[in-house]
Amino acid sequence: MIELKSVTKRFGSETAVDAISLTVNRGELCALVGTSGCGKSTTLRMINRLIEHDGGEIHIDGRPIREFDGRVLRRRIGYAIQSTGLFPHWSVARNIGLVPRLLKWPAARVNERVEELMALLGLPIEQFADKYPAQLSGGQAQRVGVARALAADPDILLMDEPFGALDPITREGLQVELHDLQARLQKTIVFVTHDMDEALALADRLVVMKAGRIVQQGSPLELLRAPADDFVASLLGGDDRGLKEAAITPVVERMRPLSPRLLPQARVAREATLHQALAVMFRERVERLAVVDDDDMPVGEISLRGIVGVARAEGRDR
Amino acid sequence: MISRCLKRWAVPLAWLVLLLALATGGEWLEPLLRWSEPEARRVLYPQADLLTLLLRHLQVVAIASSLAVVIGVGAAILVTRPAGRDFLPLVAQVASMGQTFPPVAVLALAVPVLGFGTWPIIVALLLYGLLPIVRNTLAGLEGLDPGVEEAARGMGMGAAQRLWQVELPLAAPVILAGIRTSVTVNIATAALGATVGASNLGAPIIAGIVNGNTAYILQGALLIGLLALTVDSFFARLLSGRQ
Ligand SMILES: Nc1ncnc2c1ncn2[C@@H]1O[C@H](COP(=O)(O)OP(=O)(O)OP(=O)(O)O)[C@@H](O)[C@H]1O
Ligand SMILES: [Mg+2]
Repeated sequence: MIELKSVTKRFGSETAVDAISLTVNRGELCALVGTSGCGKSTTLRMINRLIEHDGGEIHIDGRPIREFDGRVLRRRIGYAIQSTGLFPHWSVARNIGLVPRLLKWPAARVNERVEELMALLGLPIEQFADKYPAQLSGGQAQRVGVARALAADPDILLMDEPFGALDPITREGLQVELHDLQARLQKTIVFVTHDMDEALALADRLVVMKAGRIVQQGSPLELLRAPADDFVASLLGGDDRGLKEAAITPVVERMRPLSPRLLPQARVAREATLHQALAVMFRERVERLAVVDDDDMPVGEISLRGIVGVARAEGRDR
Repeated sequence: MISRCLKRWAVPLAWLVLLLALATGGEWLEPLLRWSEPEARRVLYPQADLLTLLLRHLQVVAIASSLAVVIGVGAAILVTRPAGRDFLPLVAQVASMGQTFPPVAVLALAVPVLGFGTWPIIVALLLYGLLPIVRNTLAGLEGLDPGVEEAARGMGMGAAQRLWQVELPLAAPVILAGIRTSVTVNIATAALGATVGASNLGAPIIAGIVNGNTAYILQGALLIGLLALTVDSFFARLLSGRQ
């Protein structure tokens, strides 16, 4: 668990982070969003003491971080950055094994772990283990960066735009991977991104920052439905907010049992989002879809009126 | 494997062979030298001496350059650490002054203190050779990718681990280039030592000037030039081999 209590950071006369308070519980993914220069990276770097905070307190698992030795703290916390910061004179495998080696793991265990992570992040070992960072594409390098951050199996992960240079498909794949990882292993993650869809899809807690302060925090749905001010509303997509809400609501929430009526030809997967269901309706020019399971067997149906009307009603109820 | 290795090092080795040929038995040069100095009694500098002089020359440069590397790289590392950062401008300035101060003047000042012989020229070369080393080490260490430095710290590496495993290896090509400049320039400058009694490849040149024998000057100059070329091409190979 990470707790920030009115944490402040000044650079000279400029206040980069201004008395922010934030709690990220174990197993939670917290996404920091906001315009450029609002203090997201500074907040992240204060948590692993790359930057010392000037005011307030930061606690990890109930202990003030100033009680830890900086290096020991950082080896316990995974850190991935957009520029990757891979060491250009080290091979991919050596880069990934950095923190385990710093922690003096036996060589065999380090190798095993490196292979495990390369497999996890879709980097075939024969192809990539001996490559150097300069020989990687931007996306491959970012995956290596994430693998390095995960290497020593840290409880806490700090990620500063880690998927910035990825194509949408790889990006989505990694987002799913990260989501599973966090659900399975109960990692505590603080994640900085400029991609609002990514933030909405991944975050348990969404934190909107502006000029060093937190403007609003809460679950993605809370923020989408009740943005605190125009800034939050426009950051979350302005009029697109409705569609973004649809993008994080699963079809099963609006699905109805199969009716005696003729089953529609057009179909959508049970795991899909309302956004995807709407897209299929739009493309197929229909107002009803069959909802199917993994084996393509119909398990229910969903209608345009259902999506819109029910969504409204339920939204109010919550 | 051996042939590939030989091929890689062919250029520096060729220079080395030429250098040794000239230093050990330059008789084949006699017609050329005779042509430059038809009147003189002897045109070949006593060959037995040339090899010794070459070794002495190398020795002086090696001592001065090793000291310059230790002091120069060490100083640059110290002033790029958080604790030493205040001294960065000072060190950069002292190093550049070392280069503007003419070696001849250093020699003249050093002789009264250190006496005639080898030490004054070592001091002069050391001072003269510091700047390229300090400048390049500073440039190499300061020019590292900030992302790499942030990652190194962020992963929990200590200051010494970062220096030895990340900063120095990454700055090495730039540092080596500075050492190369320093050594090459010092090979030429070391000849000045002969004016204050150091016996090295400057000796034939001084002897040539004193006796009005151009052939001696030519031999000294040729040997110094070849030595500089040999060492420089060794460095060139070393640097390109690292890329
Ligand atoms: N080391 C530093 N020295 C001085 N000022 C700094 C330093 N690091 C950050 N700042 C300032 O602090 C403010 C916040 O910077 P920060 O990097 O946290 O922004 P950010 O939200 O991560 O922005 P971006 O989205 O562009 O990455 C900026 O105004 C920046 O200029
Ligand atoms: Mg940032």
